[in-house]
Amino acid sequence: MINENDPSTLTTSGRLLNYNEAIKTGLETGLTFTKLMDQLIRTTNPDELVSAATQLADFQLDSDYVTFPHQYSNADYYLLFMSRMLELHDQGNQVILQSRDHREELTQQLTSLGDRGTFNFRVEPSANGGVFYRERATGQSLFYLNLERKMLRFNSHALTQLFVIDLHETVPAETVKTSVQVLIDFARYLKEDYGYSVDFNILDAANRQNYAVRAADLPAGIVDRLFVVAAQNDYMLTNGVNGNGAEIILDEGVVVDIFNNQLSGQPEWVLTVHDDDQKTSWFDVLLKYPFMRDWYLENLTDLEIKSDPLIFG
Amino acid sequence: MENQEQQASAADILTQAIANKLDYLSTMQAAVQHGDDRKIYELLDQVRYYQEVKKTRTKRAVNHLAELVDNIHPQISHYLSDNLIDYLGRIYPFFYYEEYTTGLFHIYFGNWWDRRLFGDLDVVNVRFDFDKAEYQKLRDSFALESQNQRLNTAKIEAVSAESERLQQLVDAQDDRDSQKAELRDQLKENSGKSSMPWESGKVKEERQTIIDQLTKLADEDEKALNAHKSIKANDDRILVLSKEDTILNYEKQSIRDAFDDFEHFEAHNASLYADYLNSLLGKSEGEVTVDD
Repeated sequence: MINENDPSTLTTSGRLLNYNEAIKTGLETGLTFTKLMDQLIRTTNPDELVSAATQLADFQLDSDYVTFPHQYSNADYYLLFMSRMLELHDQGNQVILQSRDHREELTQQLTSLGDRGTFNFRVEPSANGGVFYRERATGQSLFYLNLERKMLRFNSHALTQLFVIDLHETVPAETVKTSVQVLIDFARYLKEDYGYSVDFNILDAANRQNYAVRAADLPAGIVDRLFVVAAQNDYMLTNGVNGNGAEIILDEGVVVDIFNNQLSGQPEWVLTVHDDDQKTSWFDVLLKYPFMRDWYLENLTDLEIKSDPLIFG
Repeated sequence: MENQEQQASAADILTQAIANKLDYLSTMQAAVQHGDDRKIYELLDQVRYYQEVKKTRTKRAVNHLAELVDNIHPQISHYLSDNLIDYLGRIYPFFYYEEYTTGLFHIYFGNWWDRRLFGDLDVVNVRFDFDKAEYQKLRDSFALESQNQRLNTAKIEAVSAESERLQQLVDAQDDRDSQKAELRDQLKENSGKSSMPWESGKVKEERQTIIDQLTKLADEDEKALNAHKSIKANDDRILVLSKEDTILNYEKQSIRDAFDDFEHFEAHNASLYADYLNSLLGKSEGEVTVDD
């Protein structure tokens, strides 16, 4: 009896046919790949762009019979995708994609930040999948992106370390703001155009955003410290409207509250930033007010805004 | 009959006494119904009213009628607080009141973070009962201002100096280590010295000096070891003191904004009763006056 799955039972021509089929499948995979690459690089349709990127995100180019010696890593397709997405929103010039000589590997720079930061994606090896957008020199992962699950999560720790601490001395606040805005815009397109679930974290300028701090039961001394330094800077920390926290009115109608969000049971201290135009985030406050920045950084162990614990736990 | 006459007059006297009480209470009731707070205050303490508001010299006899309403003071206070607190809000914009139980009011100074509980408001007597300790801090704080000092400046300086000393102890660890090594060498040398009887006193003395020095250094080592904890505790103390200074500063600023200085503030407090009732007098002139 001839069993197609058992080569020993095949005739010579049967074996050759199997071999030929396997190569064809491998080449077809290659062709599919080139089509997706074409689509990723050339399409002007955002839907096709997202579709190509999603398919390429975990594309297996090699098969048993056909392998391709020159390949970019999956992470690079994300970088390409990000550039193209910005390009389709007329913001292509805000990032610079760089390929290395003799190596299939891409890196990215944020135009306004220049060579003070080089970025790429790192594939998350666990079953969760997805990638981390990180600054290569410092290893800070600024956000997590998962195209299959349609989610993006910013990381307060990395944003603070890189932009509020590391680059503080060398890069003007305005430049930091412009650079970070590119990341915010990219996430916003995914959220608004494709219904991604996005956690902007400390970059969220919406008034309703509650930034939960790490120490759910915040020690009272921390608010006292803000009270004292605020007075030294001619701002007054007052009792909060809801009576279980404090409030400080900054300039241009920006109001920061810090309060226990739970009326009973387990405390949960949070920060909020309110302004009429909903244009100011906690990140913006940190950039604009040195005394708020110092207070936040000096008490970072307790005050650091929480990021998605499932991703950045 | 004489006896009957006597009884009749006793009844008259009692009737009159009861009538006085009824009259007092119905006047009070009418004043409440007409919202005539001034009249209520007059009825509550006629002696004080005639002295401080009417400024009459002749002393009115105490008639004790006000005692009739002693046990409804909470309700009276609750009722009178509406207008009084409105009035106080204009003159003392920095005081906040909380009716913690019917007719009893806490005074809070300011609306800043951790503002102080500053005492009680006595509505019936139109008087601030300030917390003595808190009030004294404010007074001292004003007094220290002329010397450009805050209440806790000296304390903060002392604690900071202590922290600095502790930090120096920590920083000098290497120096101490080398000193100790040297002293131990000296000690070894000392024990090897000739023990001729005429020399033994001097050697002993030298030995004791070295040991004393080593002990002192060991003490310093131990302090340095705990320095981190102490410095942290000092930071907490400084925070508490700076916070109090910040609060006092806000309080002083509020008083200056409203009264120019502490003396004017105290003068206003002293004449509060008369000032308030006179303001009510002015108000009720245009209104229907009751029972006059």
